[in-house]
Amino acid sequence: MTELLRVSHTMTLSWRYGTSWYFAEFIRALRDERRLLGLRCPVCRRVYLPPRVVCGNCYAELSEWVEVKDSGTVRAFTIVHIPIVDPTSGQPRPTPYGMALIQLDGADTTLNHYLAENNPAKLRIGMRVQAVWREERRGTLSDIVHFAAMNNQTMNDEQ
Amino acid sequence: MKRVAVIGTGQTKHTKARDDVSQTELVREATTRALADAGITIHEVDAIVLSNMELFEGRALPEMWVGEGAGGYRKPVTKIATGGTSGTSACIAGYHQCASGLFDIVLVVGWEKHSEGATQTGMALTDPLWDRNVASGAVGNFALSISQYVAERGVTPQQAAKIAVKARRNAARNPNAHLQMDGITVEKVLESRMLADPVHLLDMCPQSDGACAVIYAAEDRAKKLCPRPAWVRAAVTRHDQPYIGDLDRRLVTMRTLRDAAREAYQRVGISEPLKEIDVAEIYEPVSYAELAWYEALGFCAEGEAGRLIDDGVTEMNGELPVNPSGGVLSTNPVGASGVIRVAEAAAQVMGRAGDHQVADVRLALATGYGVYAWSDVMILSAG
Amino acid sequence: MNNDTMNNGVIIAGVNLLFNYAAGEAASRFLIALRDEKKIWGTRCPSCQRVLVPARSFCPRCFVDTTEWIEVGPTGTVSAFAPVFHLADPSGFGNPKGLSAALIRLDGADTALAHFIGETDAPQIGLRVVAVFAESRSGHILDIAYFKPA
Repeated sequence: MTELLRVSHTMTLSWRYGTSWYFAEFIRALRDERRLLGLRCPVCRRVYLPPRVVCGNCYAELSEWVEVKDSGTVRAFTIVHIPIVDPTSGQPRPTPYGMALIQLDGADTTLNHYLAENNPAKLRIGMRVQAVWREERRGTLSDIVHFAAMNNQTMNDEQ
Repeated sequence: MKRVAVIGTGQTKHTKARDDVSQTELVREATTRALADAGITIHEVDAIVLSNMELFEGRALPEMWVGEGAGGYRKPVTKIATGGTSGTSACIAGYHQCASGLFDIVLVVGWEKHSEGATQTGMALTDPLWDRNVASGAVGNFALSISQYVAERGVTPQQAAKIAVKARRNAARNPNAHLQMDGITVEKVLESRMLADPVHLLDMCPQSDGACAVIYAAEDRAKKLCPRPAWVRAAVTRHDQPYIGDLDRRLVTMRTLRDAAREAYQRVGISEPLKEIDVAEIYEPVSYAELAWYEALGFCAEGEAGRLIDDGVTEMNGELPVNPSGGVLSTNPVGASGVIRVAEAAAQVMGRAGDHQVADVRLALATGYGVYAWSDVMILSAG
Repeated sequence: MNNDTMNNGVIIAGVNLLFNYAAGEAASRFLIALRDEKKIWGTRCPSCQRVLVPARSFCPRCFVDTTEWIEVGPTGTVSAFAPVFHLADPSGFGNPKGLSAALIRLDGADTALAHFIGETDAPQIGLRVVAVFAESRSGHILDIAYFKPA
């Protein structure tokens, strides 16, 4: 049988993504004012955070900004044990780490983000969490390091 | 619209790494087998539709470079890209090309060679504005949605593990299946490494090298060429919002699959899918998803999916065998996986499924699943 | 991957990806002959009789297996060329300065090989050339460094 060859090839690629007015406004408020802004659909009244310029359900254009709190409720969670490459560092993210879909207070959609907690026994759908911000904000969603359980979270739990 | 049927299918042996063939040759292998199954030559094929996730292999224009392996020389060739649904979407596009009357015979080929690429990194190249900084791959995002499904429906890790075991036991009767796991048990699934709570390694699909081809013919040709063709009765596709946080409890609601199935059933006149459908090949990248799909496909009432697997309803000898081939949980060359669902459903109708043939199949269901929430549904029948 | 950075509403993102392409049996045999014997092989289609270079396992026009291995070159004729001086190198395969991209119909072949020509200031269609093999060879199309005037 023939020796079977593989041709190896490393590609270094870069991209320059244009964003949009609403992304720029969201990032400006996040970076300069430590505020989170969502957009409200004029038809179904859903508040999107992250903001959307078009409501996926109604196909209506969104322009009404709504301030959303940096606290919220866990709607889904997992603890990731496999080392996934972190696109912001190029390195595998240290495991285990918690992830959640978090409905921020004032929003109707959920934000996909990290949790401070990585013990599944201490996590529940419905638990209350609070954003932990980076000292120096750079203008990315990673300016929120992760979300941590709120003090007295049991008392603050959603009924 | 013309009536259209599948008259031939062909698959490679799916495996971890096919070093003996290039992508082009892998595609040719599946194509050649499908042509032989249909009893035609490449010269009788009028048009070709391809499916592949080129980001995984970093190859631009695969429809050009690899399309040669599907016999694309001087023929109309297109490639369909809809994430994980690509394979079933290519099958739906090929069906449309044939049903429209534009072409009499259409070949659909899907393939992937995960062994050649940087699949995990490729998966991380999601939306750069909102998603990429918190990307945790298919497993992480699935696990998030599973937490909601488990909380609302109360399915247990044991029930999910039973799905994983069923898939691998079925795969043992399918010589093309990638994973061949002798002695797989619920305990072994639950003891396997945790990837992302509650998903264990053996709850998840593998990454495979493989290709699969399906050949359609319009009614006149189908009747001449095939003694028992698999007639396409419905082909429906639904997409949804792309960001996981915008979807309301996506595994629980799974509105794309629910809506696509409802429309497909309506077209065929199916009112009791569990009783009327004889076999299903559904795209279940993770064990828990199959349980959620049972509900969305109307195989059971909400919250009853766990009971369905506990009662063995979807086992090979059950009322509605689901994934006799071993499914995506046993074989996952992504660009081919949807085509495999359609090919397996068609082979069941044609009576050509070999050792994993279900007896007396008249009505077969195939589904595709893609990024977060996209769904395709096809229904094939003997008459 | 590199840092994603935000600048004036623009996201700059980068990534390093490693690919390992299986050559398959036919291309492996072709590349191993370059590496170990400094020989160039084609395959003949039993239907249209064309000799395909690089060697292919099947004829894409006739869709049949090729059956016969034919040694071709190392001499051939330039059928097209284009000077390339500052071409960016997205392929990573290297494109040394002073070389021209060229299509070369090797003696005995019916298809042209896409490669480079060098050691000439006046490339032209019809120029007779011969393969110059690299000193260090790894089973790669650049085991032929380039073609030079014969």
